[in-house]
Amino acid sequence: METHSQTIQTFHNIGTSTDWVVMVVYFMVIMLFGSYFGKYNRSTKDFFFGRRRFARWLIAFSIVATGVGSHSFVKYSAKGFEHGFSSTMTYINDWFFLPLFMFGWLPIIVYTKIRSIPEYFEKRFSPSARFLATVLLLFYMIGYIGIGFLTLGKAAMPMLPESFSLLGMNFQVTLMGVIIFIAVITGIYITFGGQTAVIFTDLLQGFILLFAGFLLFFLGISYIGGFDVFWNILPTEWKMPLAKFNEPSSFNFVGIFWQDGVAGSIGFLFMNMGLIMRFMATRSVDEGRKAATFNILFMLPLSAIVVGNAGWVGKAISIVSPDIVPPNTSPDQIFVVVANIVSLPGVFGFIMAALTAALMSTVDTLINATAAIYINDVHRPMKKFLKSKILTSKQTDKNELAAARYSSVVITILGVISVLAFKSFPTVYEAHGYFHSTLTPPLVVAIFLGLFWKRFTPAAVITTFVSGVALMIIGLHDPIVISPFDHGIHMDANHPYSYIRALYNMLVCVIVAVTVTLTTNWQEQIVKSLKKKSNGNALIYTLIFLSVIFFLMILFSLTALSIQFVIIILMMFAVAIASTYLIDYHPFEQTEGLTVWSVAKAKELFKGSKINDEEGEIIKVNWKKKDGDDEIVNFSQNDMNKMKANIGDFVYICDHRKYLGGLKSIHAVVGEPHNEDGIIYLNEEELLNGVFEEGKLLTAEKEM
Amino acid sequence: MPTFFDTWLPFIYLYGVGGIFFLIGMIIIRKSGAINLNKKKHRYWNKVLIWGFFYFAAIHLFFTLLALYW
Repeated sequence: METHSQTIQTFHNIGTSTDWVVMVVYFMVIMLFGSYFGKYNRSTKDFFFGRRRFARWLIAFSIVATGVGSHSFVKYSAKGFEHGFSSTMTYINDWFFLPLFMFGWLPIIVYTKIRSIPEYFEKRFSPSARFLATVLLLFYMIGYIGIGFLTLGKAAMPMLPESFSLLGMNFQVTLMGVIIFIAVITGIYITFGGQTAVIFTDLLQGFILLFAGFLLFFLGISYIGGFDVFWNILPTEWKMPLAKFNEPSSFNFVGIFWQDGVAGSIGFLFMNMGLIMRFMATRSVDEGRKAATFNILFMLPLSAIVVGNAGWVGKAISIVSPDIVPPNTSPDQIFVVVANIVSLPGVFGFIMAALTAALMSTVDTLINATAAIYINDVHRPMKKFLKSKILTSKQTDKNELAAARYSSVVITILGVISVLAFKSFPTVYEAHGYFHSTLTPPLVVAIFLGLFWKRFTPAAVITTFVSGVALMIIGLHDPIVISPFDHGIHMDANHPYSYIRALYNMLVCVIVAVTVTLTTNWQEQIVKSLKKKSNGNALIYTLIFLSVIFFLMILFSLTALSIQFVIIILMMFAVAIASTYLIDYHPFEQTEGLTVWSVAKAKELFKGSKINDEEGEIIKVNWKKKDGDDEIVNFSQNDMNKMKANIGDFVYICDHRKYLGGLKSIHAVVGEPHNEDGIIYLNEEELLNGVFEEGKLLTAEKEM
Repeated sequence: MPTFFDTWLPFIYLYGVGGIFFLIGMIIIRKSGAINLNKKKHRYWNKVLIWGFFYFAAIHLFFTLLALYW
């Protein structure tokens, strides 16, 4: 036990050799389990999306490990220890944006067949909007990975010695050293497993996590002397489900509402490629909706208890036995300290293994998702730009799968480096809050307005990315500009407005976006007159050059605050005019099927023909092999009648064993009928993709 | 006993401001036709969405009362 300063107490060497054995065995089992599913990767489609085939229950449970891992045991136990049950509030505020997610964003990302969020920006706006979105999204994802690594490091530190000797040399155990070691382990199975491996390891870990969390709660309550004792020890304010309105600055309701309930929830549902890819791996949009609903309604409230209870128990023990859990224990270590106190050797190892494995789930999901963004939004456009030699689709796929694996390694390294930006925060919770408040608003505003406002233009989105970010940078340099929105929150000079800055950041981005959109006619008139001039192009390039200079002036805070605002107004004008001039935008084509106002059209474009909404039966069939390599399957006319399917309709074919959760399944198109009832004809490629087994019945269902 | 500022104000703010976002979302998906109440499945989802809002409000209400009076 060590005292860093007068107030915070940290721990080392917690746990026994039995705990370490349990942890090592747990990790080996999980890694073997994950690599088994590597065989289901036949292409980048499998590696990233698991080929859109899984059942809702499988996805709903696998999301638990991702959600719980990212909103980790460490940070919620820390806040539970400091503030009580209000540590749960961030798990129970995600419902407000669900209508827009379930009926706006989810169907559009599935039906437009986009593979990443930046790709949506190209379809809806322009390639330059995609480029800027890619930059911002990569910052967001890599930062998220960094937060994951920081949490993993902080969880492992109390279990490790302060130093160790090897070959006669003494090595200090540092946080960064631990993080690098963990990053190497994390990189292994994600690099060779892919999305299917992640889904299945997360499924297993989801169950284990819930079990471990409730086990810890049960052991903790028993240790204290029962639930009545536990409840009566805690002061009233510790039992409140929501934090105090605007104090303290490190944990207050209103700041966290805007940072987590608004920016965080939208970021999590609309921007977190890891989560979105999980929903995209469900077999249909409706299954995705069910998975999201089940997760938010039931799994998140349970997860809130699972991740925070060690802090609550720690608080109760610190009141009755301050010699066992000192009240000044480092909040980020409370989970490990409590788990060690209330459980037996071996059980502690199991709980720690579940915690670290959950965090690894989050990190590996994010690495997988970031690699998807790299392949889709950097690798492919670069290949196109460099006009690389034309390859067959199989060669391209092989090449991209290799690039995805290498990029996973690079992303892991960048994630470790990004930890340096968050290390100085007192708790992981505050680091994560600051990260969300700062990085999500421009993309959140751009996605939202792009999706729900048909008038939102490429000039507006690009100006939001440039001038909105510039206004946010002003808020970073001079937090005083945030004070009109602070709701009475005291400004901590070391980490000013970690949470409520999300409100300022979103507001400035919305103001820029709306202003530029509403002045589109003026911009078009100016551009029209510029196009008539012989030096129009030169003027536009001058505006772009000036915008870059303006942005750098803001970035390095080279002028007084009032002048910076004038510079931003000039920059807004320059960027909006240059974008309107250079981008060839077709409002009808680039909104059709890409906004919430034309979801039905998106579905039709996805199918390529009229939608068949007639409800039919799910039938059971045996398969027979046929020649060919297309995506056509053939049923008998009677079977097609039962399914109410016509030629050209989409069907979902799945191994009849429900417990497989869709692992062995494919999507296909109905072809010409034959006359053998109860038989489906599949080609070699379909059999390989579905991993169908000889003699096993299949179910078939018309999709649309 | 904590004050109104630290008990009911967060609750009112959460479901007041959050409720506005929720309502705007519901209006947009209804007006745009993304949720079509002529379809049986969509009518089910409409009910689930509204029910979910009150479900979470009920959870927070219940635990606030429990903290204050039990």
